[in-house]
Amino acid sequence: MARDRNADLDYRGPVRRVLIAVLLLCLTAIFLVWRIDSPRVERFRAAFIDRVVPSFDWALAPVTQVAGMIDSFQSYTRIYQQNQELRRELQQMKAWKEAAVQLEQQNAKLLAQNQVQLDPKLTSVSGVVLADSGSPFRRSVLLNVGARDGIVDGWATMDGLGLVGRISGVGQSTARVLLLTDSSSRIPVTIQPSGQKAMLVGDNSAAPPLEFIEAPKQVRPGDPIISSGDGGVFPAGILVGHVAQSTDNRLRAVLAADYERLDFLRVLRSHPSERINEAGALIPPATPPRPDTTPQLAYPASASDG
Amino acid sequence: MVDPRTATRIGYRALYVGLVALVLFYRLLPLSALPAPWPLPGFILVQMPQWLMPDQWPGADMLLCLTVVWVVRRPDFIPAFIVVPIFLMDDLLAMRPPGLWAAIVLMGTEFLRARETATRDLPFLGEWMMASVVIAAMTLAYRFFLAVFMIPQVSLSATLLCMVATIAAYPFLAYALQVAFGLRRAATGEVDALGHRL
Repeated sequence: MARDRNADLDYRGPVRRVLIAVLLLCLTAIFLVWRIDSPRVERFRAAFIDRVVPSFDWALAPVTQVAGMIDSFQSYTRIYQQNQELRRELQQMKAWKEAAVQLEQQNAKLLAQNQVQLDPKLTSVSGVVLADSGSPFRRSVLLNVGARDGIVDGWATMDGLGLVGRISGVGQSTARVLLLTDSSSRIPVTIQPSGQKAMLVGDNSAAPPLEFIEAPKQVRPGDPIISSGDGGVFPAGILVGHVAQSTDNRLRAVLAADYERLDFLRVLRSHPSERINEAGALIPPATPPRPDTTPQLAYPASASDG
Repeated sequence: MVDPRTATRIGYRALYVGLVALVLFYRLLPLSALPAPWPLPGFILVQMPQWLMPDQWPGADMLLCLTVVWVVRRPDFIPAFIVVPIFLMDDLLAMRPPGLWAAIVLMGTEFLRARETATRDLPFLGEWMMASVVIAAMTLAYRFFLAVFMIPQVSLSATLLCMVATIAAYPFLAYALQVAFGLRRAATGEVDALGHRL
C-alpha cells in the first residue's frame, strides 16, 4: 500500500497493514496446527472436500463426458486398425478363456480333493470418480462413496483390470483414493514366478519403480506383479501390473489399471485376518492348577499370599 | 445507483473470482490420472535428458500466474481478503499443507502491491522480470519452509519446471487478459472517467 487514493481516508494505510499482519499470523497458525495435529486438520480437509466438490458435480460430469467424447472421436481416425487389433485380440482371448475354464474346473476338483480352506471372498463397493487431485504434484481421485457407505481408510481400490490405489481420507459421502503413482504411495508387492518381494514406490511418474528387491537378477521384464498382503493393509493376490525395465536400468511397474480412464472403481472391503504375531509357545491349560499346600514351594518365606 | 468506479472495481473482482473458479474447476476435472505429457514433438522428447523426466510435465500454476498478473497490473482490483481465501481453498483442495502456500502468496502479492505505483514506468520486460523474481522467490521460500518443517515434497526438478512454466505463461496470460478484458497497467498520473487518480 504505497499511497492512498482518497486523501480523507488516511487511516486506511496503517489499519490495512495491521490487518495483513493478522491475516498472515492466522495462516501461519493454521499451518502450525496442521503440522502439530495433522489427523484432525486432515479430517477437516476431508469434510471440506466432501462439502465443496459434490456441489460441482452437475458441471463436472457433463464436461468430463464431452472431453471423453472428443477423445473417442479422435480415435475414430484409427478405427479400422483398432478393429483389426481387437479382432486379433479376441481370437487370443477365446483361446485363453477356454484354458481358463479348464483350469478352473481342474482347480475346483483339486481343491475339493484336498479340502483346502480358502480365504473369505472379498466383497466390494463400487464408486464413480468425481474429481481429480487438482494439483500436478499429487495423484489421487475422489470417489462418490464415503463413510456413509462404510468405506474405511486404507482399503484397496481397483478398476476392472488391476489395483489402482488405496483409500486415504474419507468424508461423509466422498473418499479420496491415493493412486499408486503418487509420490507418497508405498505398496508391498510380490513379483510372480520368482516370488520376490518388493515395494512399489510411487514417484509421480506413470510407471512407479520397484525397490528393495532381494535378488533383482531373478526378475525379468514382463513378470506379473501382484499385491503381497504384507503388513496386513492390503488383501493379497490383486494384480498390480507387470515389470518393465526403463532406460536407466531401473525396474519399474507398468500398471495394469487403465489410468487414462478411471471412471468406476471398486473399493475392496478388507476384513482383517487373524494375525500370527509369535513364533510359537507352549500352550498352557486355561486355568493353571493351584498348588494344594504352600509349604511345599521352594520359597516358603515369600509365600504369604498362598 | 452504484457509482461507475465502484461498479468497475466490483466487476473486475468478480471477473477474477470467476476465472479462478474456472481454473480450479479445470484442475478438478477427472480427465486422466496420468501425468500430462510434454507439449513437444516426439523427436525432441527423445533427445531430452532423463533428469528432465520426459514423461512428466507439471504444467504452469495458472492460479498463481493469474493472481500475479492481476496484482502487478491492477492491485486495487484484487484485495488481500479475496486472495487469501482462494489460496487457502486451493491448499485444501490440492492436498497441500494448509496455510503455508497461502501465507507465501499473501506476502508475494503484498510485495508487488506496494511497488505498483513506483514501477508504472517500467516497460513490459521490466514488469515481467519483477513478476518472475517474485514467483521464483515464492517457490523457493515454499520449498525452504517445507524442508524446515520436514514435510515430504516433490523433486526439485519438478518444482523448478513448474516455476519456469509459470513464468513463461505470464506474458501470454497478461496479453490475453489485456485483449479480452482490458486489464492493463495504469499509466503514470492516469485518471479515470470521473477524474479520480488511479
